[in-house]
Amino acid sequence: MALGDLERDVMRQLWDAGEPLTVRQVHERLSGERGLAYTTVMTVLDRLAKKGVVTQQKADRAYRYAPAQSREEMTAALMLDALGTAPDAAARDAALAHFVGRIDPSALEAAIEAAKRRP
Amino acid sequence: MTALLLGALGLTLSLAVPGILAHARWPGRAPVAAIVLWQSITLAGILCALGVVLAGPQELIDEFGSGKPVGVAALIAALAVATLIIIRLLVSLAGVSYRSRTRRARHRMLVDLLDSAERHGALPAEVPDGLRVLDGPLPFAYCLPGRRPRVVLSGGALQVLDSSQVGAVIAHEQAHLRYRHDLVMESFTAFYRAVPRPLRSRAPLDAVHLLLEMAADDAARQRNGAEPLRSALSVLSDAVSPEVPDEIASGATVERHRRLDRLAGADTRSVALTVLASAMAAGLLVLPTVILVVPWLDRALTAWPL
Repeated sequence: MALGDLERDVMRQLWDAGEPLTVRQVHERLSGERGLAYTTVMTVLDRLAKKGVVTQQKADRAYRYAPAQSREEMTAALMLDALGTAPDAAARDAALAHFVGRIDPSALEAAIEAAKRRP
Repeated sequence: MTALLLGALGLTLSLAVPGILAHARWPGRAPVAAIVLWQSITLAGILCALGVVLAGPQELIDEFGSGKPVGVAALIAALAVATLIIIRLLVSLAGVSYRSRTRRARHRMLVDLLDSAERHGALPAEVPDGLRVLDGPLPFAYCLPGRRPRVVLSGGALQVLDSSQVGAVIAHEQAHLRYRHDLVMESFTAFYRAVPRPLRSRAPLDAVHLLLEMAADDAARQRNGAEPLRSALSVLSDAVSPEVPDEIASGATVERHRRLDRLAGADTRSVALTVLASAMAAGLLVLPTVILVVPWLDRALTAWPL
């Protein structure tokens, strides 16, 4: 299995868990589906932490991992970035993406707000 | 004389021509050739500026017959300004391309983590390798260029579009990726940022953006016909930006209308216009060089004090 897919699945476990997980817990949740080495899961979590999408906290002599942002927050940030309305002004000139039909950023922000209010 | 003529040509190319070309309707009938023409206009403008800087001092000295040390100083100053122009352009290009690349790499990483494609059954049969689906009600589609490109659709887009429309949208985005439209856009952005503020114009940027969209529309039309793409475009844009009266319409709305109109009728692309625009593009680069620069260079090389 490609490393990218594994990273995605690990993120899913962390998002679905709703609480910080240890490497062992993530490993248990994932290996129900396939034979995965414990160290592989550890490597993947470490990579995700280095990328800044997962936070690492030490509790009871074990590291616990949690997503840096909720799935919804990350999606919203990604959409704003794609539209070039990211707060980082220097990056704004760098055309990131081609949209099919230009989206009005205010419409996007309204939609994101609406999504947040939904339980 | 050479400097004066090059200056006049340069000013015409950077101040008058973009306005005219941006408002012309014919580029819609030959979008790719029109993009090449825009590139040629921009490049010719830069070459004119360099020509003025290099030819100007030498011609002034010819005119007033100064002593040798002044000539050397003028020549060195001219070379310095010319180098400065070139460095400024290169730095701008490097900056824009570096920022784009880092930002896209991060964006791609996050899109890959958030991808939920396998939960959406409504995808067309031939799903491209880099397709990603983001959960969310807002219907949109975009592509992320680069060496490992992605086409991103939202869950909302998959809900409002049928499978032929989804196919058309994917074909449109893949055309952007295949022909590296991002590199074209980056070069124009870099040029825009390198030009001193009072002389800057957004006209080339906006015009080229629209032409690139049209070129991608044409590619999608060739693969799946015009109708799926036209209806997909109108569904996607209606969903996020409600219809406004034409008199207060923004640039984006005008752009959308022109693309929809283009897709509504028969394919209006014209071979004659394509040939004509390509010839103009080539002429812009070749003719001033042959008529002005080569004779000047001939004279200058024998007369320069170094």
